[in-house]
Amino acid sequence: MFFKLDSFALVGVDAVKVTIEVHLSRGLPGLYIVGLPGKAINEARQRVRSAILNSGFEFPVKKIIINLSPADMRKEGSLYDLPIALAILAGSGQISPGCFNDSCFIGELSLDGKINPVRGLISMTEKAVDLKKKYFFVPAINAEQASVFKEIDIIACLSLKETIKTINSGSPGKNACRRADPDLSCNNCETDFSEVKGQFKAKRAIELAAVGMHNILLIGPPGSGKTMLARRIATIMPCLDLQQCIEVTKIQSLCNETSNGIITDRPFKNPHHTISRAGLIGGGVYPRPGDISLAHRGILFLDELSQFPSNLVEDLRQPLENREVIVTRNQVSYCFPSNFMLVVATNPCHCGFWGDRENRCKCSEREIKRFWKNLSGPIMDRIDIRVFVSRLKEEDYINTELGENSEKIKKRVERAVVFQGNNNKDRKIKYNSEADAATINKWLAGDERLRKAAFMVGKRFKLSARGLSSILKVSRSIADLEESKDIEDEHILEAAGYRAIKTYG
Amino acid sequence: MKINASDLVKQYRRNGDDIRAAINYFKNNKSPERSRQLTFGGFKENKKEMENNGGSVGILEYVKKHRLGIMHIGNKDYPPDLLNIFVPPPVLYYRGKRPDDKLFNIAVVGSRRCSHYGREVASYLSRNLSRIGITIVSGLALGIDASAHREAVKEKGGSIAVLGNGPDIIYPPENRDLYKEIEGNGTIITEFAPGTPPLRTNFPIRNRIISGLCKGVIIIEAGQRSGAMITGELALGQDREVFAVPGSIFSPGSRGCHKLIKSGAKLIEDIDDILDEFDHLFKEKNHIAAEVVDKKNIRKQKRPGDISLKDIKLEPLQSKVFEVIGCRAKSFDDISICSSLEASRLLKILLFLEMNGMIREYPANYYSRSTKCGTF
Repeated sequence: MFFKLDSFALVGVDAVKVTIEVHLSRGLPGLYIVGLPGKAINEARQRVRSAILNSGFEFPVKKIIINLSPADMRKEGSLYDLPIALAILAGSGQISPGCFNDSCFIGELSLDGKINPVRGLISMTEKAVDLKKKYFFVPAINAEQASVFKEIDIIACLSLKETIKTINSGSPGKNACRRADPDLSCNNCETDFSEVKGQFKAKRAIELAAVGMHNILLIGPPGSGKTMLARRIATIMPCLDLQQCIEVTKIQSLCNETSNGIITDRPFKNPHHTISRAGLIGGGVYPRPGDISLAHRGILFLDELSQFPSNLVEDLRQPLENREVIVTRNQVSYCFPSNFMLVVATNPCHCGFWGDRENRCKCSEREIKRFWKNLSGPIMDRIDIRVFVSRLKEEDYINTELGENSEKIKKRVERAVVFQGNNNKDRKIKYNSEADAATINKWLAGDERLRKAAFMVGKRFKLSARGLSSILKVSRSIADLEESKDIEDEHILEAAGYRAIKTYG
Repeated sequence: MKINASDLVKQYRRNGDDIRAAINYFKNNKSPERSRQLTFGGFKENKKEMENNGGSVGILEYVKKHRLGIMHIGNKDYPPDLLNIFVPPPVLYYRGKRPDDKLFNIAVVGSRRCSHYGREVASYLSRNLSRIGITIVSGLALGIDASAHREAVKEKGGSIAVLGNGPDIIYPPENRDLYKEIEGNGTIITEFAPGTPPLRTNFPIRNRIISGLCKGVIIIEAGQRSGAMITGELALGQDREVFAVPGSIFSPGSRGCHKLIKSGAKLIEDIDDILDEFDHLFKEKNHIAAEVVDKKNIRKQKRPGDISLKDIKLEPLQSKVFEVIGCRAKSFDDISICSSLEASRLLKILLFLEMNGMIREYPANYYSRSTKCGTF
C-alpha cells in the first residue's frame, strides 16, 4: 500500500517542498525512515507510534517505509511527525485521504498526540501559497503567524485526534482560522525621544538617518547618552508594511519557535563585543541567521565599536553592501537577508574625554590617532552620518522640560519616506542610502548650482570621493524631509555638518 | 630646571666629540670638503673613530646625494644671531631654502599636549607675524609647534624647523606633510648628522638653536617643567626677548607661562606687543619698507572678540548666530537655545559661517569665533 503527502523543509530562511511517501508492505514489522533524515527525524518513529496509539488508532503491524523526497537533501528537526503519522494512518486505511492532494502538513507530535509548535512556519506558509495549496495544517500555537496569508486556509491542529476528525469531515475549510487583517501598528513605546535632553544635533542626525536608512556613527564621552539615543531610533522609523513584517518574522521565527503572530516592531539588535563570528554573521553546523540578519529591517547597534575585534567589523562590509549574507556550509549556500541600519557608538579616545571642554583627556596625540586608526577604514566609509554626542551640563540634566516626542518625529519621517519613494520611483533604490554612482550622477547632472556647491564643500573640508557622495546622499534625505524636489545649497551645507568630524593636529 | 651651556658641552663629550675643537676648526675657515673629521657620528678627532663613523667623504657624498645643504660656522652667511650664542653649532645641515637674514626670526614654542586655545593662539600669532615677513622658528613637534609652522609657511615669512635628529629623518612621523611644506617655504635645519635618531637627550640641545636663531621667543602653553620652558631659559641666557601668552589660571598647561610672566617676561596679547620691542630693527632694516606698511595695516586689524557686526555683512539670522557665539567655545545646544533656532536651521548657518572662516568647529559640537574672522 503506497501513499504520499506534502510537507516542507527549511533551507536558510526559505522553505522547500518535501514529499513524504509511505509504503506499507508485508514483512517484519517496523518503521524505517529514509531520505537523509537527521537524528530528530529518526526519533520520530517512537513519537509517531505512541501518538497514534494514544489517540485511539491502530499502528499497522506491517513493514513501514517512509521516504522523504528529495532524498538527497539533508533534513533536520521534528517537524515531520504529524505528516508521517497521517501518512501511516491514510496508508492503512484508517482515514479518508480526500483532501490530501490540496493540503500540506507540519507539526511535532508529543506522545499523547498533542501537537507542538515548529520553527520557521511563516516561510513554509509562503511556500504553500506558492504551490497553490488549499489547506495547510499547522500546530495551533503557531497558527496566528501563518494566518497572515489570505490565499490559503490555515487549519490549527491541537492534537492528532482532532486533526483526523477535521480531515474525515471532508471539508477542512470550515475549521480554518479566521483570516483577519493583521494589526501592523508597531509598539516600540517603552522608550521615547522626549526623554533625551539636549543633543539637538544628534537628534536631527538620527531623524535624517531614519529617513534615508543611513548608517550612523555616534561619538561621545562615556555617559553622554549614545546608547540612549540608539535605543530610540526604532521609535521614529516608519512602520513596516505587511511584506516587510513577513520578512522579519521569517527570520525571527527561525530562531524562536514560540513566537506567535507576526512581528510588527522593527528589530533592535545590540550584540556584545564578545559575540562570535557565526553569531554576528550567521552560521553554525545547521546555519542559522546571525545578528545582522536578525536585525533585518531594523537596527544593528554596535556599542563601543573599538572593542569589537577588527575582523568582525570587517566582516560587515559585504553584508552592508549587498544587504544580504550568503553562508556556505557543507556544499549548501544559505542566503539570509540583512538589510539593516548600522548604528555605531564609540568613545572619541581611549579615556573617552577627547574634545571635552575641561580638557580632561589623558591620551597623547599619538594614542588618539592610533585609536582612530582602528576604527577608520572601509567600515567608516560606509557610514554616511557621523555626529558627536556631547555630555550634558548639570543645568541641562536637571531641566525637566521634555523634548519633542517620537510620535511627532515619526510623522515627519513617514512623510519624508513617502516623498523619497515617489522621487526614486523610476530608480531601483528605495532609500537614499542605497544610491549608487549612477543615481548620484543623475542628481548632479540636472543642476549646475548643486555641482558648484558640492565642489565648494568638497574642497573646503578636503573630502574624498566617497565622503562627497555620502554628503550628497544625506543632503538628498534632508531635501526629502523638507519635501523639496531639488537639493538646495543649504541642504548640502547641513549634510556637511554630519560628516566633518574634525581631525587632529 | 636650568640648563647651562657647559652641560651642552658635556653632552657633546659624551658622544666623543669635542665641540670646541670643531668650532675652532671651522672658524679658521677650512672648508668641510677637506675636513676628514666630520663624520656621521659627529666631529671626531681620533683617527680610529673617524673611520668607524664613515669618514668625511661618506657624509659629504651622502649630503650631495640626498640634496641636503651643509653650512659651517666659518661660512659668511652662517646665521649671525646664532654666531654669538655660547656654544654655536659648528656645522648645520639643512633642507629647503638656505637661511638668510632678510628681516628677523621669532620662535614660537609650547606644549605638545595643548588646548584648542593654545593651538589657536599659535596659529594666530604665527600667521600674522609671517604675513609681515618675519620667519617663525619652531621645533616641528606636535601641538603648538605644528600649528605655528603650519600657518607660517603659508605666508610671506615662511618658517624654520629645528630638528633634534638628522635632517633626513622625519620625526614625529605625523608631521610628514608639514615637513614637506616647510621644505617648500622655509628651512629644515639641524646640527645632527644625517641618520642621527631622535634621542630624547638631543632635544634640549637643539632648543638652544631655536632660541639662538631668533630675536625673541614666544612661549604658548608650557607646563612648569617642559621643553618650552628650557627654550625660555636658554633664550634669557642668550639675551633674547621672552614673550609669554597668558592662559587660564586653572590650567596646569599655562603654569609655566605664568611663571615666566611673574619673573619679567612680557605678557603678549597680540603681535603689536611683540613688534613694539623690535621697532629699532625695523628702522635698521629700512630696505624692507614695504613690510613696515604692512605692519601698520596689521595694527588696524581687530581681534575676534572686538569685532562688531557692523564690520561684516551677514544676513539677519547669520548675524544673530554669530553674535551668540563668543570667543570661548560654546556648545551646539547652547547656541541653539540662545538663538532660539532649531537644529536643522542652525546647522546650515554654522556651516555657512565656518565655510567662510568666521567660526571654527571643535570636537564635541563646540563652536567659537575664528581668529581669522578679523581679516574680513
